[in-house]
Order: sequence, then structure tokens, then C-alpha cells
Amino acid sequence: MNTFYEGLAEILEVDASELAPNFSFADANADWDSLAIVSTIALVDDTYNVMLDGKSLAACEKVADIEALIDAARSRNA
Amino acid sequence: MQPAAATPEHGVGREARTAGGRIAGVVTCVPADVRRNEDFHARFGEDAVADVVKMIGVQTRRRAADDVTTRDLCRLAAQRLLAGLEWEPTSVDALIFVSQTPDFRLPATACALQAELGIGSSCIAFDVNLGCSAYPYALWLGMMMLQTGSARRVLLAIGDTISKIVDPSDRATALLFGDCGTATALESDPDAAPAHFILGSDGQGATNLIVPTGGFRDYAASGDPRLEGRSACSLYMDGGEIFNFTLRSVPPLVARTLALADGQAHDFHLFHQANQFMLKHLIKKAKLPPAQAPLNIEEFGNTSSASIPLLMTTRLRDALTSSRRRLAMYGFGVGYSWASASLDVGPLRVLENIEA
Repeated sequence: MNTFYEGLAEILEVDASELAPNFSFADANADWDSLAIVSTIALVDDTYNVMLDGKSLAACEKVADIEALIDAARSRNA
Repeated sequence: MQPAAATPEHGVGREARTAGGRIAGVVTCVPADVRRNEDFHARFGEDAVADVVKMIGVQTRRRAADDVTTRDLCRLAAQRLLAGLEWEPTSVDALIFVSQTPDFRLPATACALQAELGIGSSCIAFDVNLGCSAYPYALWLGMMMLQTGSARRVLLAIGDTISKIVDPSDRATALLFGDCGTATALESDPDAAPAHFILGSDGQGATNLIVPTGGFRDYAASGDPRLEGRSACSLYMDGGEIFNFTLRSVPPLVARTLALADGQAHDFHLFHQANQFMLKHLIKKAKLPPAQAPLNIEEFGNTSSASIPLLMTTRLRDALTSSRRRLAMYGFGVGYSWASASLDVGPLRVLENIEA
């Protein structure tokens, strides 16, 4: 998930080494706002060629939540 | 007209092919008043402006004065266009005004323009209510009129002054949109190469980009929680939903447009200038060379229905005044409505952007 982590780190304005499945947006004081969500939709589309839904993304609290959405979307496509 | 069998329906939209018409010239008109990002610092704060600008990519946008409407900008563009082409106003057989910002709920702005421009009364004139998808839709309508012989010369007056309907306290829309009116001249030409169009609609997205009040139904009273605390007569945009719609619908539209182009490559791809981040993503996803997909959103913002002709006058002037080029155009957004056009354009005698 390297490309994904690098892109997500840029979106959240944190260091990529800080990112892990347990990384919580609220704890890290990272902005999980509408701009971050839209950027993540594009990043995931680029990286995995799947489209996530903005409302489900908005409900994510940590990186693992996003990864779960990606896995679900990829298995629907498969 | 092509028989129905020649216009099969694909998931992307209705496919149509017209022949016998060409673009003769294009003039666009932007207000002289430039609004820079710094002009919004006092209201939103520097950081908030920077956050939005990082996404939308707009550095400057034009704003029409309070007493200047879309009709005025279109009239100035049309006057310059008719003079440049040396077309007598009375030689125009049809005038179509396409906008989300007409002068009145009634009558049609096209009729006012017909009279102001000195076009005779033997003229077909009417309004069409479309925004982001307006330009390819209007080209299709005009080309059909030429093909049937209903008209030999058609004037398309297309533009918007969205600054008049944004809520000045809504940073997402206040920073994004710019004003512009345009005029495009079409004329019959039996030797013109066929033009291809794809046209689609999905009204399920209607409330994601809407002015809830001001027509004859009050959507503000519907209880939609997204509208809480907002001005009902201002533009509401659900940015996330619009982004999802665009990513879902535009890549297949581009792919099908390329497939339909009689095997000919396009010289340029003109995308409705919706949002810079989104456009760069779409261009990358479609694997188009960036040099063939010009942008001007950084300079003029999202000019709604006017963005594609404004790209022609500001980014393709040399190419289209000197030679013939094959253009693909993609409009998508409010409605939802989307359309593409694929046609040869140029060399154009008149192609310019003026200030009002």
C-alpha cells in the first residue's frame, strides 16, 4: 500500500512514516474534511481503480476504515 | 437525418451525427473586474482561502457589475462576432440562448437579444436551460437546424453570471465561479465533415447542484438537511456528490467520444473547466497528453456554460485561426446533464476574447 500511504500522507499533511492502520485522524489532529475526502476518492481511483463513496469515507475515523472500504470495493469489482 | 438505427443508445448517452454545418467564429466577453484570491482573505481568512484554492486551482476570476447581465455579455460578444464575420444581423436565421442566468423568468432572453442585435423577425429564437453541459448541447441543436435546412446561419449565445447567485459567505462556490458571455456563429457548409455528439441526462442528481428557490417549486421547504441555515435563493453545491458523479460519468464519455471519431485522432480535448484538481485527475485517467487538454480555470474560474468557448478564445487562438483542428469537447454537471462533441474547427476568421 506504499503509493496509497504516500498519497494519503500528503493529503493529511503528515509524514508517511506516521501512517499505520491504527492512525486515527482525530488523535493526530489531521483534517479529515471535505477536501481531504475528495482528494482521497481521486487517490484511491488512481491507485486501485475503484471508486469510494464520499459519505462512507466521511464516516471513517482511522486509516484501517479506509482500507476496509477499498477492500470491499475491490472485491465487488473482482 | 440519420435513421434511428444509426443512433444506438449506449450507457454513456444518446449518440448523434450531424453533417452540413461548421463553426464560423467565436467571440467571448468577460467583465473587466478581476477578483483575486487576496480579495477574499478578509472574509474567509488566508488559510481557508488557501485550502480551497489548492483544490479548485482558481487564482483570478471575473465578476460582472450589478447592472450587467449574461445577456449584456452575450450581446457584446455577438456584436463583435457579426461585425468580424461581416454578417448582416438580418442574415441570422436562428438564435439560441443557453444559460442558467437569464434576465427574467419570462420572457425568453433570446427574444431580447434578437431585437437588440437587429436580427429580423423571421428568426427562430428561444432559451435553453443548461449549464456545464451547454456548449456541446447547443452545438448539436444548431447543427441539426443547419442539417434540416431550418436555418442557414445560427447564433449561439451562451454564458452565465453565476457570481449573482452565489452566497458570498459560501467559500466553496464564492471562490470557484467566474462570469462570461459568449457568441458562436454556425453556418451551413455542404462540405463540412460530420460532427459527432453524445448526450445524456440523470435528473437523480438534480438537488446536488441547485438554486432551491426562485422558480415555481420551493425545494428549500423540502426539509433537505444539507440546506439548513443556507440562503434559499443562492446556489447550493454538494461538492462530494458532484465529484463522484464526474469521476463516474466523464471517463466513459471521453472513451466513447474517442471511439466514435471515425478513427481520427483529436488535436485538442476541451473539458468544461469545473475544478482544476478534478480536471487533472480526469486528464490523467484518460491518458491524454496535458498539452492537448488546455486549462484556463486558474485565470477565469469555472465559467459554467461559457468555459469551452472561453478555452477556444484564450488557449487555442493561434491553432484555430491558422489551421483546421479536430476538437473533442466535454461538458458535464448541473442537471445532471452531460454531452460531448467531436468536430473539425478552423481556420476561423474570428476568434477572440473581449472585455466589457
